[in-house]
Amino acid sequence: MKLKFTYLLFLGLLSMIFIDEGTNEFIFITKETQFEAGKDMELQFSSNNEEKPNLYISNSYGSSIIKPTLKSGILNYKIPNAISKKTGVIYWKLLNNAAVLSGEIFIHPKLEVATMETYLGPPSIEVGGTDYAMLVVIPTDSYDNPLPDSTKVTVKHQFLENQSEDIVLMKNRISYKNIYSENKTGRILIASECLDTDSKEYTVNVMPAIPTNFTISYQQNHHYADGNQITTFSTSIIKDRYGNIVSDGTYVEFFIANASHNILKTSGTTINGIATAKMIHPDHEDYWRVKAFVEGMAESNEISLVYKKVISDFEVAFSEDNRKITVGPLKSFMNQMIPDGLEISISVYENNKELKTLYKSSYGGFATFKLNTNDLPNSTYSFKIKVAGIEKTYSKIKL
Amino acid sequence: MVALLIGIAFHGTSIFFTLETTYDALIHLFFADHYANSWFEPWNYKWYTGFTVMSYPPLVHQAMAAFSFVGGLKFGLFTVALISIILFITGVYRFALLITANRTVAGYASLLAVFSSSFVETLHVFGQLPSIIGISVLMHSLPEIYLWLKTGRLKFLFTSLSLISVTVTSHHVTPIFGMVFFIFPLIGMVLMDVSREQVDSNKAITIRVFLNSFFKLFKRIVTFGIGALGIIVVCILPYWINSKNNPITQVPIPHGSRDNFMEVTSSGLVFFLIPWGILLILLPYIFYRYYSKRYLFFGFSITILTVLGTGGTTPIPRLFLGENAFNILTLDRFTLWASIMSLPLLGEFAYRFVEGDLKTLIQDKFGAIYHRLIGGILAGLFLFMTIFTMSLGYFRPSQPQQINMLPIINFLNQDQHDHWRYMTLGFGDQMAWLSAQTNAMSVDGNYHSARRLPELTTRPIERLENSKFKGVEGIGSLQQFLTTPEKYNFKYIFSNDKFYDPILYFCGWQRLRQLENGIQVWEKLNVPPVSSILPKDDVATWQKIVWGIMPFLTVLIAFILNVQMLWVIALKSKSKKEPEFFNFKSSYVQFPKPVLKITHIWTVVLAVIMGYGIYLFYIKNESHHSPENAVMAYYDALDFKRFETAHSLINPKSNLSISQYMLEISVTDGLLSSYAKLDAIEIIVISQSDSLATVKVHTNWITPLEKISKTDYKSLLKWNGKWYIQPDAIDLDLPPDQLYSDNVTKYFNQGRRRITTEQTHHEDILKQPVLEILSAKLVRYNDSYALIGEVQNIDNVPADVVLKGTLYNDDNKELATYNAKYHVKHKLMPKEVSSFKINFEGIAWSKTQDSIPKTFNPDEFTPVEFEEQPTKFNLQVAGNVSGSDLYKGATLSHLEISKDMIKGKLFNSGLEEITISQLIVTYYDKNKTMLWVDHQFIPEGIRQQRQQSFEYPVLKDDTILVINDDMKNCFVNGLPNAPISDKIVPNRIINQTHPVLQPINNPNFSFIKIEINTYIGNPN
Repeated sequence: MKLKFTYLLFLGLLSMIFIDEGTNEFIFITKETQFEAGKDMELQFSSNNEEKPNLYISNSYGSSIIKPTLKSGILNYKIPNAISKKTGVIYWKLLNNAAVLSGEIFIHPKLEVATMETYLGPPSIEVGGTDYAMLVVIPTDSYDNPLPDSTKVTVKHQFLENQSEDIVLMKNRISYKNIYSENKTGRILIASECLDTDSKEYTVNVMPAIPTNFTISYQQNHHYADGNQITTFSTSIIKDRYGNIVSDGTYVEFFIANASHNILKTSGTTINGIATAKMIHPDHEDYWRVKAFVEGMAESNEISLVYKKVISDFEVAFSEDNRKITVGPLKSFMNQMIPDGLEISISVYENNKELKTLYKSSYGGFATFKLNTNDLPNSTYSFKIKVAGIEKTYSKIKL
Repeated sequence: MVALLIGIAFHGTSIFFTLETTYDALIHLFFADHYANSWFEPWNYKWYTGFTVMSYPPLVHQAMAAFSFVGGLKFGLFTVALISIILFITGVYRFALLITANRTVAGYASLLAVFSSSFVETLHVFGQLPSIIGISVLMHSLPEIYLWLKTGRLKFLFTSLSLISVTVTSHHVTPIFGMVFFIFPLIGMVLMDVSREQVDSNKAITIRVFLNSFFKLFKRIVTFGIGALGIIVVCILPYWINSKNNPITQVPIPHGSRDNFMEVTSSGLVFFLIPWGILLILLPYIFYRYYSKRYLFFGFSITILTVLGTGGTTPIPRLFLGENAFNILTLDRFTLWASIMSLPLLGEFAYRFVEGDLKTLIQDKFGAIYHRLIGGILAGLFLFMTIFTMSLGYFRPSQPQQINMLPIINFLNQDQHDHWRYMTLGFGDQMAWLSAQTNAMSVDGNYHSARRLPELTTRPIERLENSKFKGVEGIGSLQQFLTTPEKYNFKYIFSNDKFYDPILYFCGWQRLRQLENGIQVWEKLNVPPVSSILPKDDVATWQKIVWGIMPFLTVLIAFILNVQMLWVIALKSKSKKEPEFFNFKSSYVQFPKPVLKITHIWTVVLAVIMGYGIYLFYIKNESHHSPENAVMAYYDALDFKRFETAHSLINPKSNLSISQYMLEISVTDGLLSSYAKLDAIEIIVISQSDSLATVKVHTNWITPLEKISKTDYKSLLKWNGKWYIQPDAIDLDLPPDQLYSDNVTKYFNQGRRRITTEQTHHEDILKQPVLEILSAKLVRYNDSYALIGEVQNIDNVPADVVLKGTLYNDDNKELATYNAKYHVKHKLMPKEVSSFKINFEGIAWSKTQDSIPKTFNPDEFTPVEFEEQPTKFNLQVAGNVSGSDLYKGATLSHLEISKDMIKGKLFNSGLEEITISQLIVTYYDKNKTMLWVDHQFIPEGIRQQRQQSFEYPVLKDDTILVINDDMKNCFVNGLPNAPISDKIVPNRIINQTHPVLQPINNPNFSFIKIEINTYIGNPN
């Protein structure tokens, strides 16, 4: 393009050098210097001869050279549509070699709104009145020119009961408004209007702030440590400092300190502010202190639970040359057989040295261990049998 | 002619069933697609982030591409395959004619060639079309070369050179080795013939006479030699230039043909037994004939080929070729050539057996029935080998089931998914077919010579696609791609093999959906699309033109020069002066008796060896033979999920019915039972009596995540002379509830709310969830560096977390950058916290090529080697809204702390079955300062409302040094961490959960925190 222009310019200059010899005078006769975008636009010069100099024009989108038509001593330069439809300044210059004739004309947007270019972000904000979403509205005319500064734009928004309208003026070709959250969660609907043209609907979600302290409670079928029931912990409705229920899915972690000072863990996520977390009962007598946290933000009171033991004693029978050990019957708190799956362990010692530990789950209230001659050759062993936290030792058993 | 008809009918119909499942055919198809789209542009972006097709001779691909313009790519493939069959059969005919100078024998040879197992294997199992076309055209050229050398008529020089040029442009290795193994012996044969003409009998040919004829023909030989060499260089000049510019500096990829066939019997079968087939029995005859004076040089040649073809069985190939060439070449081609070289003699043998002197000899000696019987057996064996080879792909599928590509192609075309790179897993060579059909680019590829990324070239894997078969090295490089996918703009994975699911999950990928064809799509968030301008290694325009025009030009010239010859030979339409080599007919009157005898002995020897092999095979595989066999067979059956076989090994007296057994197996899920591959097994019999045995079984399992070693004790008993395994006790635990309910928050992301092909409207773009880095520090652990810390999702929506750390030295020079892999919960609920650790992995083994650990653990990594001391770090955290993999049902229900072991139980309180759980363990010192993050996978699954015990060994004897805990350079979604934190959580309760850290008794650490991350294999 550049080359082409230089070439054209060069040709233009050449033609002037060769043709133009007399004293030519051109006078700019167009009165108007302000135009509306998209209108037909002609720049006129009066001329006293037949010479037809080109007109160089330039705006922020680019430059061009225009050839005139000469009609009864008046040179008409028609500004092409591509240039006349864009707002801003057009600089022009007549390309004759005599006194330089140049000037500028202004193009203003059409005072009508074709589209409302709208940007809104972020799509979600936090309650509390400090977080905000910014709405930027750029009403544009049919040629995509922003409307002039100081054009009135009405920004309307609705939140819960309130509906409000604000008038903002365009400045630097945009209008904008910060929409602040209030103390309640919900959805703000936003629209705008300019010169009787309305925008579409925009939404901003107002999300709750961080949670505040809460309380916890628990629920269980019984308080026995049978290893076969589930205790459910729930929080109170967790709210933020403005009283809004925290968003669904908020992660609450429950820490359980047991009697042996180990920390067990369970977790839940909130629904309507309430998080529930489940934990299986221990299979031995225990004492739990439970506290829940939303880390770094909120915590609960501490509650304590007592799990009563269900098995106070159990029987062990040796048979088949002491190679078959039957543990049980294992009875629970109403003397019912303990539900299947209670873990029973037998640690085998020889000369006070632990050889191995065998594990079995109870079945129908019993657990049977068969000691293999391959694993434990004939000798004298001690056995430590552990059921539900109770230990029994049988020493010097000969196999 | 008959051979041609039968050949086309036989192969023509069968290729439609076999060719697409071969190893190579689809790769050639992919190349053909490339040429069809851009004939003159050698750069291909679709594989390996770009590679040049100048790395493979183009003729076959271009031919397919040309035919594809008529009827599509597959039409091109099959057309070229048919042409290759025709060329091969006629080639064998001409070669046999040249060798035997007998049209009937040549006819026999070409007929047998149709069914020869090596050809069948090359075409129907390997699909090596260029190789076949190369060798066929080479065979066509042999008579021409002979005639040029013999007569010195320039016409023959041109015809021979034109055919050689076609060979070169279709396959580069064929003419180079063909020169050595086919043309040199041919020259020898010409010299012999010339010498023969000077003397009266064969016996009279002495070295002196031979040398005389050599000097006489020296000029012709040299002319031909230089001409051929020139053609080899010029015709595919761009290929040579490319090879010089991008030399193959890669770790050799193991190939079955280099194995010791005695040890790896499957390789022996595929690369030795099958290609030789029936020829093996005739070896004595073949050697006898080729070591006769006229063919002496062919004798040398076939000996070398035979020995080279034995691969790693004997040390000779390695010594002969040298270490380097041995590791680059696939040695099966030597066997192929040897078998092709034997074809004329096979034809000759058949002729003599069916209607010649051998028939008379056998009938005289053993009677007519014996002759027919032998004939029947030989023919039967021959056909059996052919059929067996054809259906090899059916018995031992080398490829996964054929995948319907359409849903994948549609997926890639939708929604601009092809703006990212993708990868396939478990597709086999079908990935090439997918690549041919889509515009999307893959990080992987199927032509290993063209690999460019150092992550790939430094290790012996052909492609990431099937990395599980390459064991740990494969998984090792795969996980590097999975951990830092944004480096390659790599967003989608199409998985046809659920083996890879766990590694994908724990590397932070998420399941998208299952396509109609059962392929699971995985995606990674926060990966930028491929930029629209990609780099390429450009080559000069003349190279592109040569590459695009030369191959077809050679065919054209060869066609014009040889067409007359072809007509004469194919149609025998015009009686023409017999070519020179007809003057040297062999006489088939007296079949030498010793050869027949030796053949008999050899057959017996072969049969004994085979029988012994089968016996050994039986002993090794008879599962009830010994306790070891029983245990071995049991684990083997479990590994391949043949539960019925496994159940047949269980003690039948234990009253465990097959249905009960299957039920028990079916309820176990987890890394070991669903995602593990048995790698090694060691069986130690601890004690054994006549009827009882206890064995200790050490098993190593390769899983996508880590290598698992297990030691099991099994009791066995002998019953009715057979050994059986005692079944293990099953978990008797009953869950508390029969039916229970749970409320969970679920999320759905609409994505684009309006159906449009335009870019996502800004209103539909979700805000990135705000995360906060609670702590971050650079620590040195022994000799490696890592970033550790904690990250919290402080937003109101669940977030996918991507953590990227960069290390700097004091002069702010960037030293290394990497992403968090396993040590973070990649998906966080609102307000959830996760500890993280970023290991800085180097490109594994890039420095220490030779010391690739034999027993690599996928969980291990090669720490990046730092030239300077890292002192500062930059941590970038990016959050993206994600609604998947948010299961939080695992709880820690029991703990027992001892000095060096933490035992505990996990309880699954939710509604999904946990497949793999991961413990993320954070270590603190006595001031509750975070020191280190470690992890452990629990390979067993946890069913709903059940517990699973775990044992975690506490770290010890490690030196951990905190180098820098300045959080100045921590960024969340590109914004500084501190202001965000101040805005959303202004009054954070620092270290709020410190009072509930778990105290431990350890010299280095005083507290730990255990977090649980779970992978759900089959979400409901």
